[in-house]
Amino acid sequence: MIVALALLGYAALLLTAAPARLARARWPDAAPRLAIAAWFALTGSAVASVLAGGLALMVPTVRVSADLARLLASCVMALRAQYAHPGGAAMTGAGAMLALAVLARVTWCTVQALARAARARRRHRLRLSLVATPDPRLGAVIVRHHEAAAYCLPGRGSRIVVTTGAMDTLDDGQLRAVLAHERAHLRGRHHLLVTFAGALCAAFPRVPGFRIASEQVARLAELSADDAASAAAHRLAIAGALLSLGAGVPAAALGAAGTADAARVRRLIDGPSAISRTRAASVALTAVAAALVPLLLLAGPAASARGMNYCPHGRPAAAAPAAGLYSR
Amino acid sequence: MGSGFRVGRVWAGGDVRSFGELEAAIMDRVWLAGRPVLVREVWAGLRPEREPAYNTVLTVVEILYRKGWLERERDGRAYRYRATVTREDYTADLMGEALEASPDRAAALRSFVGRIDPAEARQLRRMLDQALREQAGS
Repeated sequence: MIVALALLGYAALLLTAAPARLARARWPDAAPRLAIAAWFALTGSAVASVLAGGLALMVPTVRVSADLARLLASCVMALRAQYAHPGGAAMTGAGAMLALAVLARVTWCTVQALARAARARRRHRLRLSLVATPDPRLGAVIVRHHEAAAYCLPGRGSRIVVTTGAMDTLDDGQLRAVLAHERAHLRGRHHLLVTFAGALCAAFPRVPGFRIASEQVARLAELSADDAASAAAHRLAIAGALLSLGAGVPAAALGAAGTADAARVRRLIDGPSAISRTRAASVALTAVAAALVPLLLLAGPAASARGMNYCPHGRPAAAAPAAGLYSR
Repeated sequence: MGSGFRVGRVWAGGDVRSFGELEAAIMDRVWLAGRPVLVREVWAGLRPEREPAYNTVLTVVEILYRKGWLERERDGRAYRYRATVTREDYTADLMGEALEASPDRAAALRSFVGRIDPAEARQLRRMLDQALREQAGS
């Protein structure tokens, strides 16, 4: 019971205080890839903690054993003991419901988001094929259209799309920068990262932590691609391309994306700010530690329960006297 | 529609290509013609560069008709086909789909840039020009 509460409390902490702090931090702009990893450590750990919390309610003390049969047997014993008194049974039910509901919701929303994105891409790719001309020299397809635009279509049969409007607007260096940026998206499988983070947000829309994580992952994916493009083209060329393509058309509805894009330009003009090694190491350590906490919390009591004899002389556990022992 | 990208030996000469590419070439001919055309004319228009069989072109034209991208009217024993939308409208619609700011779009594809506020863009442009001058000076 205490373990379960600790796990659920930890998840709550990860989803309330931590995201706001991480979103306010300055270092992610200097190390976007590390920051993306940190966001997934945070959200993944929160989900794992809730799942582990549900399990902890269900099976108060389970012996950790390499032998699966024995582990299952001890689970059965512990469950029987738990069921022997009504409070325990209710707790088991609640724990099982919580773990199953969270697992099912996350899985369903992720599968749905992946399928929907794949469908949208496939449809777009089919329609695109009618008006796009491959340009092997650029490694992109060209669409004759007056509006300046560039984007990538990830997934199977991935491609980079550039309009003639964009080619007229950009100089050679800027075009190279745009292509390098889009290639970085494709290479880094950024669409999957964005989809996963978005699926968690869609699964639990009332949890602000997931929404912040989803916005930040999308923003950091752009910064990461900008950094990759800086290797192929000058950072000022990327900034120029962003301004040329982003300001080409009057802003109809300017959302958070527009503000984030302005910040991207500013970051490219200001030049690279490096993250110190100690900073990077401490972030990585924190992320690993955050991810390990639910495991340790769950394993601690399990390990301490190793010595307990669930199954004296191979007979099934006698329910009544054992009940007090197991329900905590 | 699954048939759009089925890969097969479509062209004489043994090139393995997709119907999708032929669809694009046919729509290109129809749009270029600017008037209702016979399948035979489309086929002839494709001839110098590609040599698809007439029946293949006929099949793909019928696929495009069923997809709603072509409409047709009787002309004697044959049909004359024309595009249901102009190339410009089709492209504008497609690019609009790619660049609209919806959550679905965000997950499906990654646009290079959104829309930057004009006032902010002017300020950034000044900053960029100054940075470029400093770079050139140094």
